[in-house]
Amino acid sequence: MSADPQAACELPPNVGQDRPPILELRNVSKRFPGVLANDDVSASVAPGEVLALLGENGAGKSTLMNVAYGLLSASAGEIVVDGNSVQIRAPRDAIRLGIGMVHQHFMLVEPLTVTENIVLGMEPTNSWGLIDRAVARKRVVEISAKYGLKVDPDSRVMDLSVGMQQRVEILKALYRDARILILDEPTAVLTPQEVHELFQIVRELVSQGLAVVIITHKLDEVMAFADRILVMRAGRVVGETTPEECSEQSLARMMVGRDVVLKIDKGPAKIGEVVLDVSDLVVLDDRKLPALKGVSFAVHGGEVLGIAGVSGNGQRELVEAITGLRRPSGGTVSLKGRDITHDDARRTIAAGVSHVPEDRHRRGLVLEFDLVENVALGDQRREPFSKHGILNRSALDTEARARIKDYDVRTPNEHVAASNLSGGNQQKLVLARELGRNPELLVASQPTRGLDVGAIEFVHRRIIAERDSGKAVLLVSMELEEVMSLSDRILVMYEGRVVAEFEGGQVTEEELGLFMTGGGRTPTEPSRASEEDTGA
Amino acid sequence: MPEQMADTPPNRAASTVDEKQFALEQERFQRGVRMATPFISVAIAVLVGSLVILASGKDPVAAFSAMFFGAFGGARQIGETLLRATPLVFTGLAVAYGFRSGLFNIGAEGQLFLGGLAAAFMGVALGGLSWMLSVPLILLSAMIAGAAWAFIPALMKAKLGAHEVITTMMFTYIGRYLVSWIVTGPFKAEGAIPQSPMIPASSQLPRISDVFTFIQPNRAHFGILIGVVAAIVVWWILKYTVLGYEARAVGFNPTAAETGGISVAATTIKSLCISGALAGLAGATEVMGVHYRLFDQFSSGFGFTGIAVALLAKNNPLGVVAAAILFGSLSAGAGTMQLEAGVSQKVISIIQGTIIFLVGAETIVSWAVSRVRRARGGADV
Amino acid sequence: MFSEVVTPELFASAVRLATPIALAAIGGAVCERSGVVNIAMEGLMLISAFAGVAAALLFGNAWIGVFVAVLASVLFSAIHAWASINLRADQVISGTAINILALGVTGFLMETIFGHPGTTDTVKTIKPLMDLPAGGGGVLGTIWQWVDVVFLSYTPLVYVGMFSAVFLTWAMYRTRWGLRLRALGEHPRAADTVGINVLRGRWVAVLISGFMAGLAGANLTLEQVGSFTENMTNGRGFIALAANIFGRWTPGGAYMASLLFGFADALQLKLQLFSDVIKIPPQFFLMLPYILTVIVLAGVVGRAVAPASVGKPYKEKG
Repeated sequence: MSADPQAACELPPNVGQDRPPILELRNVSKRFPGVLANDDVSASVAPGEVLALLGENGAGKSTLMNVAYGLLSASAGEIVVDGNSVQIRAPRDAIRLGIGMVHQHFMLVEPLTVTENIVLGMEPTNSWGLIDRAVARKRVVEISAKYGLKVDPDSRVMDLSVGMQQRVEILKALYRDARILILDEPTAVLTPQEVHELFQIVRELVSQGLAVVIITHKLDEVMAFADRILVMRAGRVVGETTPEECSEQSLARMMVGRDVVLKIDKGPAKIGEVVLDVSDLVVLDDRKLPALKGVSFAVHGGEVLGIAGVSGNGQRELVEAITGLRRPSGGTVSLKGRDITHDDARRTIAAGVSHVPEDRHRRGLVLEFDLVENVALGDQRREPFSKHGILNRSALDTEARARIKDYDVRTPNEHVAASNLSGGNQQKLVLARELGRNPELLVASQPTRGLDVGAIEFVHRRIIAERDSGKAVLLVSMELEEVMSLSDRILVMYEGRVVAEFEGGQVTEEELGLFMTGGGRTPTEPSRASEEDTGA
Repeated sequence: MPEQMADTPPNRAASTVDEKQFALEQERFQRGVRMATPFISVAIAVLVGSLVILASGKDPVAAFSAMFFGAFGGARQIGETLLRATPLVFTGLAVAYGFRSGLFNIGAEGQLFLGGLAAAFMGVALGGLSWMLSVPLILLSAMIAGAAWAFIPALMKAKLGAHEVITTMMFTYIGRYLVSWIVTGPFKAEGAIPQSPMIPASSQLPRISDVFTFIQPNRAHFGILIGVVAAIVVWWILKYTVLGYEARAVGFNPTAAETGGISVAATTIKSLCISGALAGLAGATEVMGVHYRLFDQFSSGFGFTGIAVALLAKNNPLGVVAAAILFGSLSAGAGTMQLEAGVSQKVISIIQGTIIFLVGAETIVSWAVSRVRRARGGADV
Repeated sequence: MFSEVVTPELFASAVRLATPIALAAIGGAVCERSGVVNIAMEGLMLISAFAGVAAALLFGNAWIGVFVAVLASVLFSAIHAWASINLRADQVISGTAINILALGVTGFLMETIFGHPGTTDTVKTIKPLMDLPAGGGGVLGTIWQWVDVVFLSYTPLVYVGMFSAVFLTWAMYRTRWGLRLRALGEHPRAADTVGINVLRGRWVAVLISGFMAGLAGANLTLEQVGSFTENMTNGRGFIALAANIFGRWTPGGAYMASLLFGFADALQLKLQLFSDVIKIPPQFFLMLPYILTVIVLAGVVGRAVAPASVGKPYKEKG
């Protein structure tokens, strides 16, 4: 490794602005059926510069960058690279022009090795035309040394952590000699520590002359790492600024178009009886390996218990075990003193557990069903929705109409397919069903993923309303900010165990992050949690 | 849709068009394509058939008019059309019910064979009973036999994830050999021909024109009316019962159904068995209304034609009746066509295959529609 | 009886009977690795079996028959490719349509060309590649007889099947084409974002499976039977699909799995000869390959992991 990573951070922040841009997007528009996703957008980035593309979900940031990468074709506009107007019809054109992109959902072929993934599409070949594996491996090792991106070239991608997979993605772009690197929501899946490492890597890349575009909706990251900020809203660029010239508050106003309450309003918790009691829970994952290794905790009425953790540390299995979607192999789950450990999903719902699943398209809704049938899902065997196995269609319609009104689902009528609703309205529909059933316990997993600020506020208000009405809420989220602002208590999960417990409002993101990566367990760590609660 | 990029629809929070309006338009367009596809598909398939006939040096107009006369030219012809539509109503319903719950019952043919076997056996066994008892009992036993033949593939699908296309197909071959053995061995009528004994009159489904004598004599039997009743019952099950609701939920999205407390495995088993039971009825009505006995060639691929029927009907039970009559008329008219225009009957399989292709792949028709629109300079959707 | 049943001919017969299944299954493995299900293989085999016989009769040369058989199968597989890749149709339904179309087309052409349904005229089948003299007596002679019959007695396409199993397995794991093919079936968008043409890659894979199914059909009529009978493939295309799954989506595995089916078939044919000794109706022997398929699937499915994106249409861009 030639360059010292610390040196990069000492560069003046505005170094990029003096140079001519390497990539320019001029007056780009992109129309989808019924939506103008980009409306006359212009943007540029210069070598040695970190440009942040800031905007909330659905503002058109990713669309813009997908146009630049050739994954989408613009309806109008021009792309200029090195001062020349270019046509980018497919990713291969973008690659040829030196544009690399790390997508929000990684574009990695899981069963293949790191090296195979990196060289895929540009494989070095020997004189026989066969892949020269030795050369491929050597190139990968060289590049990862040059930029300080350590990764085992021979591991299979499926065995790597998320942070490692992201490195492979960056290496993929560098292997193709990318001069412009686009990172789409790169921090969404990382711990605070990994975020820090990522931005060090970015600084290193910029110091070696790359241009970096970061797509994000996180204000603090933008303030900390961007050289220049472009704010997008509803498909348009609504402002350009630098971290020096603005504040988080002013950025938020630009991004949303109105004043935003960054902190959620909630009163003190009125803790009630234990509603959910989980003890020594052991659950296997799909590969029959233990995903939960003896987890114990309780959720009381009137409180929100937040679960923080890096994706893949057992949260999904925990949620599935509580909601009856996965059979625990040990331990117990009880609801208000009733053992529901071995109940299936139908009985669990009947017992009073509602579930807002992490993926509303896959788990939350039957997109082809109309709104009425979606509202019925889970209650279809119960009166008044059905009797003796026969549906009561008029009762269903009435109930659906009432819930749609209560939860402000914007729809022409209750008989359109759920697929025709926007993301925010789809999530409201899920809430209308799950909360409208008046549960004892709400299990909410990533309840605001992919929503715009308005919908996020709505979901948060409803969750707090549940809590304030004395119900128990178990919140699982990868968004630390969300966990911290909503929860009355926070548990941190790491490798299938609860490794720490905090009172809400008494912990920083950094502290949580430390435990999320297993770091907090070292005896020297001062903020170590009480071990008796981990059920180990 | 895990591959959906963050900013593409349906996540259209940035919509500059009124959302409600968009949803309505979307719904209307989808419905339009859904309604038009079957008709366009039949038209294209007939066109393809004509080209094939033309290529073989024959006159397609003469061929299709002969076919039309053969199918609808008189009471006898219409009766023949209904006769041939009867098993297709049941196999069409069988395949459609499977599709609605996300299952492709390609093996309706095998379940039909078992249904026919049960009908022939029970028909003979219940010989002494009045038809009022024996006919329902025979139909019931054929349904059970068809369901039983679907049960192992259903179990394998539900518990192991073995694809029902392969397993039900294998059970079709096994079922055919089973019937072939039974009519040559243990259940063989006297004489040289491998066939079962004849079922007594009390076990038969009478011809409609024999009961209502004001109708000119034809071969259509009461099976078609049972078929219409079955279609209405299946429609009702799908729309108004928890059973049907759960089947559709699993068919559209098993993961969401599971989350909603529906047992995907149990629903899969139930649905494939119901599908098998409906296919079993096809075998029963063929034995009870047409042949009055069982032999190993008693079905000319009704189970497979049922796939075309279901797809053409867009899996709508009432549409199945109409589609079955269409295919019944093709089959009834094919003989006349061969006789008068010299065109091989097999051309109807080509038409069938084309229809499956076009309707099954709805995208093909919308692709064709958009091509036509573009050629006319219309707006591209 | 054992020595009468277990003869070199039994094994040779197993290999021969396995060949059409194996050829199709190998193509199926390539096709599914690219992310496209090909249940049309049954129909493709049927079309090529017919086209092969018809062309061989017309031109009086079995090799022209093989060529035409492959051509016909590739053409029909192009329909499947176009529908399922470009138009993103349901792959299983598109395949089913081709299977039914194949029944219709072969039946129609049969009556149009030969003037009657049923079975075509007979062609002279392709001879075994090698015709080696029989060995003498003694142990050495017996060994030679086994080697000759089990390994050296086959017609050319049987060897093509063995060769393609080895070659395509190697190609799938060692060549650029193979790496890209595996990427297509696992994560086509990942392949797209590194500049690989997903649609073209899938087209090539489907056409390869059409080519292989064409060889399978040709082997059936031009090397084994010598004539075409309506619906003569009798589910072999579906069994090939099962063999592909049993072989875990590798050409070599698919070939070995096909051998199992071939052996079951050979054994049932052999045992039928002893029907006066074993009192079992022939239908039960005939069921054997199908029952075996069900058992194999029951045993292997769930443990074998299919390519992640198999059966899912890919949309290039918006």
